[in-house]
Amino acid sequence: MTRHSSLTDAELVRACRAGDSEAWNELVERYSRYVYAIAVRGFRLSDDDAEDVFQDVFTRIYLRLDSLRDDSALRPWIAQLTRRRCLDALASKSRETPAEDELMYEETSDLTDVEEAFAVREALAGLSETCQEMLDRFFARDQSYRTIGEELDIPSGTIASRIARCLGRLREQLEGRNPPAEGSRG
Amino acid sequence: MNAKSRKVLATTVDSSHLTTNDYLDLRFEELLDRISADGLAPGGGSAAAFTVAFAARLVAMVARCSAIWKEAPGVAAQATAISDRAIALAQSDGRAWDAALLALRDAEAADTQDDAKRDFALERKLEAAAAAPLEIASLAADIAALAAAAGERCEATYRADAAAAAALAAGGAAAAAHLVRVNLGIRPGDPRLADALSSEQAARDVADRLGGAAR
Repeated sequence: MTRHSSLTDAELVRACRAGDSEAWNELVERYSRYVYAIAVRGFRLSDDDAEDVFQDVFTRIYLRLDSLRDDSALRPWIAQLTRRRCLDALASKSRETPAEDELMYEETSDLTDVEEAFAVREALAGLSETCQEMLDRFFARDQSYRTIGEELDIPSGTIASRIARCLGRLREQLEGRNPPAEGSRG
Repeated sequence: MNAKSRKVLATTVDSSHLTTNDYLDLRFEELLDRISADGLAPGGGSAAAFTVAFAARLVAMVARCSAIWKEAPGVAAQATAISDRAIALAQSDGRAWDAALLALRDAEAADTQDDAKRDFALERKLEAAAAAPLEIASLAADIAALAAAAGERCEATYRADAAAAAALAAGGAAAAAHLVRVNLGIRPGDPRLADALSSEQAARDVADRLGGAAR
């Protein structure tokens, strides 16, 4: 973990603009998997095409960071850049292989999954280490309550309840990032 | 498994039918037909896993219907995750059981001079067939633990469903533990068997407690 890893996106953007090279490293580290996931999972690009997109997106981020109006909106901005670049890649491919409409339909739900996965990952980072550990063990590593209890030295009878509370906090984190819409705006 | 039952299986297994499709893609009636069809998967292990998945879904329902319970959404999420794992294990168990049956058939067809080699290969397949039931038993214990929490904190209307979930989990655990015992052979000291029996006991304790409270 570097001293930049705890920075918010807005703070990171400001540090990058100030020419802090470690901040750039952190930005690439923080968003490399995101960009790659959109390209590969969202748009089903080949590894080679995804690599091209990856290089191009981060080059554009570097060149255009000053044009970002809201520093806290880094992620949606990167997502937009990546999508556009992926569509360019697909457009050049579609000249060789048609049926683009069908492909685009499939992309929508996968992209949503990618967005949700990264939103959850970001929200997880806001939880205590214990919560992160327990949620990771139960939901990602499929460990039983008994295994979690034994390895973390916690009474196994309390694990389910602790996980439920951690999920509650995770939900609060997610809702804090995406507050539910209030009322009807038509 | 004795020689006679091996013989019967060897004459009925047709490898051309040994394909375990995704059970979730089957209609419910088709799934039931597959269970009762021909001695191939899905068999007892898969059925135990489905039972655990039913128990998990019941717990999720009880939690979702209990607005007074603050931890209910988190419990429902865990129950759903356990259900997903149970269904995946139903599939794994089916594949392992089909492989064990094939090994059994090959063993019957093999030269009797190769008895030791054949038995070793068969033992390995049966050991592999014990892996999924072991995990199914563990999931059953976990879902019983969630049912216990649900039984204590859910809205009164749904307490019977929590008890039903615990009973199903106990049944799934007992079936899975039995399959672990059979597939591992008679090895009382095997820690895997001890784990399975411990899971079975834990699930049964909850079922007895919730069932007793309802009487």
